[in-house]
Amino acid sequence: MVVVNHSDNDEFEAYINCYLEMRQWRDEHIHEVWENPIALNQFHDRLIKKTVQKAIEKVESELGPAPAHFAFFIMGSGGRSEQSIWSDQDHGIIFAGNEGFKSYFLRMGEEISKGLSVVGYELCDGKVMSSNPKWCNSVASWERQISNWLNEASWESLRYFSTFFDSRVLIGEDGFLLRLKEHAFNHLKKDPYLYIRLFENIRHMKKGLGILGQFLPDSFGKKTRCINMKEVIFFPYINSLRLLSLKEGIFTPSTLARFQQLPNRYNNIKKYQVDFEKLLHLRLYFKKQSKSYEDVHLLHVDSLTKSEKQELKQIMKHGYRLFTETKHIINKGCSS
Amino acid sequence: MDAIVLMDNLWVIIGTILVFFMLGGFILLEAGSTRMKNAGHIAGKTIFTAGIGALVFWAVGYGFIYGEGNAFIGLSNFFYGDASTVEEGLAPAVDFMFQMMFALVSLTIAFGGFAERAKLSAYVIFAILFSALVYPVVAHWIWGGGWLGEHGKQDFAGSTVVHLTGAMAALAATMILKPRIGKYNKDGSSNDIAGHNQVFTALGVLILWVGWFGFNGGSTFGVADAFFGFVSLNTQLAAGAGAVAAMFIAWVVTGKADIPTTLNGALAGLVAITASCGFVEPWAAVVIGLVGGLMVFYSMKLFDKAKIDDPIFALSVHGTVGVWGTLSNGLFAVPALSTDIDWGQAGLFYGGGFTQLGVQAMGVAASGVYAFVVSYIILKVMNAVMGGIRVTEEEEIIGLDLSEHGSYGYPESMPEHKEKAGV
Repeated sequence: MVVVNHSDNDEFEAYINCYLEMRQWRDEHIHEVWENPIALNQFHDRLIKKTVQKAIEKVESELGPAPAHFAFFIMGSGGRSEQSIWSDQDHGIIFAGNEGFKSYFLRMGEEISKGLSVVGYELCDGKVMSSNPKWCNSVASWERQISNWLNEASWESLRYFSTFFDSRVLIGEDGFLLRLKEHAFNHLKKDPYLYIRLFENIRHMKKGLGILGQFLPDSFGKKTRCINMKEVIFFPYINSLRLLSLKEGIFTPSTLARFQQLPNRYNNIKKYQVDFEKLLHLRLYFKKQSKSYEDVHLLHVDSLTKSEKQELKQIMKHGYRLFTETKHIINKGCSS
Repeated sequence: MDAIVLMDNLWVIIGTILVFFMLGGFILLEAGSTRMKNAGHIAGKTIFTAGIGALVFWAVGYGFIYGEGNAFIGLSNFFYGDASTVEEGLAPAVDFMFQMMFALVSLTIAFGGFAERAKLSAYVIFAILFSALVYPVVAHWIWGGGWLGEHGKQDFAGSTVVHLTGAMAALAATMILKPRIGKYNKDGSSNDIAGHNQVFTALGVLILWVGWFGFNGGSTFGVADAFFGFVSLNTQLAAGAGAVAAMFIAWVVTGKADIPTTLNGALAGLVAITASCGFVEPWAAVVIGLVGGLMVFYSMKLFDKAKIDDPIFALSVHGTVGVWGTLSNGLFAVPALSTDIDWGQAGLFYGGGFTQLGVQAMGVAASGVYAFVVSYIILKVMNAVMGGIRVTEEEEIIGLDLSEHGSYGYPESMPEHKEKAGV
């Protein structure tokens, strides 16, 4: 027999309603910012922050206040402040103290994931969420995990590391994440060959342009004649700047800020910043009316005007050049 | 029998065996290009339809092709059984066996259009009717002393007779059967239903390639002047060029060096050179193969866009490229191997003008139209009489291995099927 506790139920519904209200607010107001990448990302930050605060409040009402200081951080496009209209969830938690607190923070991660999914951020397919024990650890465990990822240097572990590195704290202790990044930089400096492994890890990319300069859209399925902007156009820029940031010890996750913070000797790289800025604007221009996360990356090439095609091809060519130049820098400076 | 005559006969029976072994190539090619749940069915149907085709060819097929008759059809030599020997040329049974293998290959090509959705009974009935009414008529027109042969139509080993005829029947079948479940989306886009084993497909192509030396080389009908060597050289060059061209164009256009396209390119080169292998110079064989490889890529795209579901690309490889191969004679046939031996005219590029090209085009059009129309009528009638020639949606989903034969080709890899409860 199931005993229904009415007060618990009421409370549950109150929170769900709260998340639903935030979702409604999102749907009603996002058009105000959907043409400006900076304003749009500030909008996302505000919404995510409010949702997470609500989730924390709920967990505190169930289990009491957090047993230790912690940092809630976001990764992926959120971490880089490069979200489009729709985005999925990528987040983690770092907490002070020992592993005994983990169950509390996992519960917090679970509630955050649930809240964000109601508000409009799809659950992450790869389970990069603070409800997953891999992404919810004490500072000491995080340090061990980062060392293990880099020591193992496998396809999977380096994927995790790269995902982790595009991160920033949204709520809580900034210092925790900075400490972890510092830990990673020190590890990498001791073993520069890892830069090459990290490059190899992202070297395979889906081609977007053919040798005749034509788009290479999908040929089959519901994505016929579409190119995936994230995989084909954004990745060369994002991946290149992440690698160079790792090499130069740059903490910031945003690709644009990374461009800016690269030392002056990287002028050959910095010149591509303008292309990336254009790309961020173009994506919103093309996809601001997208109805789902799945659709937000897909660009139907037949829907583009001749000049839009030319502009996009130019950005893609520059992205490939940037990627090649990054490869030379990594190979030249990091081979053991 | 003189030693040279015996060698001629021996060579042709070797060719016979090689051509028959091509069915093994088709088994691997077709099974590899389709899904696991239909693999056993595809392999098995190739064997039993070869059995049916052999019996029908013996009963009436050979007689319709080579019997005494008129310009349209032969009408004697039914239930063939000539055990006589000869002082020159081929022993009747050797010739019969060689000819039969071509009929079986054409039948197997036709069944490419049936893949993954036709009832077993449809295979049985169509094997009989195609082997009696479709293939023999075209073969008679071109090889059996029929009206196209009299015009000087050049088809050394069967680009039109074997490949185009089979492909036209496949086209009729695929139009009547309609696309497989899941091939096209509601928005009109097409899905790639990938074959389950590219290694099988590649091995199938290799076996076909080897068999083609019997197909083309054996079509010299003897060892005189070792001309089979020249024919084999042309065959090899065209196949190689076809594979290279197809992979290259796929890479240029799609950015992917696609394996199925490359394999179809090799086959396209082979199909293209089949008509012309005994008429053209090696450089021309390379050109013919290259064009075949390019054509097969675009043809596959075109059929897909036209919503004609061709699971193993029979229409493109054997049909589109079969047409090109036949026409290529009209461009590249050299006088020494055509006019000088009284087999049609030289091609356009060798001063023969448009005469031979015209004859080739007429042959393609007449044969193609006949094979398509008659196959279409046969299949339409079968569709009406048999209550449909396509399996039910449920049968198609569980796979033809189980629905038509009762067991899977890959039993361990299939979800366990539950017995119907309460029946």
